[in-house]
Amino acid sequence: MIWQFSWLLLAATVQAASLSLQSPRFTISASDATQLRSDTLSLTKKPEPLTLGATDTLKLTFQITESDEGKGVQPHQTFLRFYDKESGEEGIQPIRVTPGGKAKFELNMMRPLTSIPPTTHNPLEVSLILGSFVHAPAQYDLFDLYIPASHTPAEHPDEASFHVLPAIKHTFRPEQKSPPQFISAVFAAAVLSPWLVLIGLWSKIDVRVPNLFSLSIMPFTALLGAFEVLLVWYWVDLKLGQVLLYGGILAIPTVFAGKQALYATGEWRAGRK
Amino acid sequence: MRLLSSALVSLLALTKLSFASSSSGDSVLVVLDPSLDRENYSIFFNGLEKRGYNLTFRAPKDASPAITDYGVPNYDHVILFAPDTKSYAQDITPQSLVGLLSENTNLLIALSPKQTPLTSLAAEFSLILPPPETPLISHHPARSEPQTTIPVPVSPSSSILTPEIPPIWFTGAPHALGSTPMLVPILRAPAESFAADPTSDADSDAIVAASEKGGEGLWAGSRMGLVTGFQTNVNSRVVFAGGVKMFSDEYARKELPSGGPPGNALFVRDVAAWVFQEKMKFRIDGVEHHRVGESGAPEMYTTNDEIVYTAYISAYDSRTSAWKPYSGLDDLQLEFTMLDPHIRTSLPPVPGSPGTYQVQFRAPDRHGVFKFVLNWKRKGYSYLESSTTVPVVPPRHDQYPRFLSAAWPYYTGAISTSVGFFLFAALWLAGDVKGERKKGSKAE
Repeated sequence: MIWQFSWLLLAATVQAASLSLQSPRFTISASDATQLRSDTLSLTKKPEPLTLGATDTLKLTFQITESDEGKGVQPHQTFLRFYDKESGEEGIQPIRVTPGGKAKFELNMMRPLTSIPPTTHNPLEVSLILGSFVHAPAQYDLFDLYIPASHTPAEHPDEASFHVLPAIKHTFRPEQKSPPQFISAVFAAAVLSPWLVLIGLWSKIDVRVPNLFSLSIMPFTALLGAFEVLLVWYWVDLKLGQVLLYGGILAIPTVFAGKQALYATGEWRAGRK
Repeated sequence: MRLLSSALVSLLALTKLSFASSSSGDSVLVVLDPSLDRENYSIFFNGLEKRGYNLTFRAPKDASPAITDYGVPNYDHVILFAPDTKSYAQDITPQSLVGLLSENTNLLIALSPKQTPLTSLAAEFSLILPPPETPLISHHPARSEPQTTIPVPVSPSSSILTPEIPPIWFTGAPHALGSTPMLVPILRAPAESFAADPTSDADSDAIVAASEKGGEGLWAGSRMGLVTGFQTNVNSRVVFAGGVKMFSDEYARKELPSGGPPGNALFVRDVAAWVFQEKMKFRIDGVEHHRVGESGAPEMYTTNDEIVYTAYISAYDSRTSAWKPYSGLDDLQLEFTMLDPHIRTSLPPVPGSPGTYQVQFRAPDRHGVFKFVLNWKRKGYSYLESSTTVPVVPPRHDQYPRFLSAAWPYYTGAISTSVGFFLFAALWLAGDVKGERKKGSKAE
């Protein structure tokens, strides 16, 4: 505010004629023409901020004269500037001034001017800019104005990629839950129960295996055991190709050992008899 | 002794000339209108030459040296100081200038209130110019110069300009800015200025009528731009300046109404530094990705793998003409994308390792072909873009969880069957054959 008056002082020293604002008045009226607020504007102190509802009308009247109490003039530039300091949005509205310097401005919020900038809940600083080719320029801060917030202007589709985008976290499938280990143990024991029955029955009868360690059938049983070991090893570690290879290698001696074992068994059955 | 000192001086001069502060080359073509006196722009051009650029001058209507030869640009940068020229030689058209930008040549273009082919070029970059013959005028501040010569305060918010540049003198046309984020506003008009026919007070009615007519209305206020830059997708830069006089020596020496020298020389130096890719220039040196614990990139990832992604970024330092690793980017983001981003995390710099940015994350549950996408765009800085495609496959049959506690009954069943078979085979072969084959002896 102070620096504007320094310009006026400079202008006053440079040129005799300078523009000045006379009798500025504002009126806020509702849609049914009742007056809500009306006052003159002081050039030294801003009034309380004005508030316009969605159906109210603001009327502003003033006169431009050549240095206080001079004759009315029509300057080249009579602009009303609406400025939102927070967002930087600005609107400039030229005001029609009669050759006698009288000016009238009306803002009807039901049909707002296109020059009003997009607004939020922050106030607009309203100032008057006067400029002329023949007089020194002048600028006046008039008042702060609250008007209803507007829609935000449409953003360019690429605008979002120029800022930090929200983080996206992937929701993973929850870890599979397993039943209690005690249940599994109980049922594993249940699976082993036929062995108990078998051992019980064996203890009742007289089992004799005289040829268990005979050299004719040992190779075969050993190779059969090796096959079982290979099966367990496949379950734990091996891949299919490896198990087929090892199984194929084991199969060759097993064939011969098996034939020998069966021959021996046959001999015993026939020989003993 | 004199020979030695003169040899030293010439050696120093040679080294100064061989120093180039732009990251994309140092040959500049200056298309200067014959009506503009080259000596009047000596501060600007000599400043460029001192920074290592080779300037070649020609008039707009000269056929040689041509801007491009069969589509290949001949120069790294082009300055177009021909704001009032309505017809050029064959090689300068709006299409050929846009083609230059696609080939990574930077442009510095001065506009004017006259309607020229450059007006339609500026419109392609979302700059809306006022009607012809309406230059920017301002009655504020009171000064002895004409209304079209305006001292414009330089806003401190633009990162292209060094801070605290004094107001600069400007003559020319303003433009309204479109909404595209690729525009980089450098200098905005003062709030009290507007575009109009600069004749007399009696035209105030015409101004009001123009604003009431609808359409673009009145070009007025601080939302208008005077010098605006644009960064293209291939990271070439173009600056549209509303007038050519702000580059001149006359304006660089004219005193401001508030006293003191203007900032024209500093301002045009900073603008040229940005357009010619000296500052705010980044590049991605390389990206790496691998599983945690490994070092090379695997052929494919499995779902739920822990992946480590590393990016190496450097910035161009024009004082040493070298690319240096830069760790100052704190808002880099990595996206792991298959059609849509499945994961977006920040990519923080690694402390202690300059220029290295690293993040570890878990590959999503989905299998498919994913991309590591690094896409960083900010106004005024060069864009960083990198995309690496990598397959993510579901686990193999033996990569699932095995030996589960829920399967104990089945394991014991199978093992028990195997053991039972082995025991039976062994016992049957080993068994006692007493009490068999009595028939044979009976049958004789």
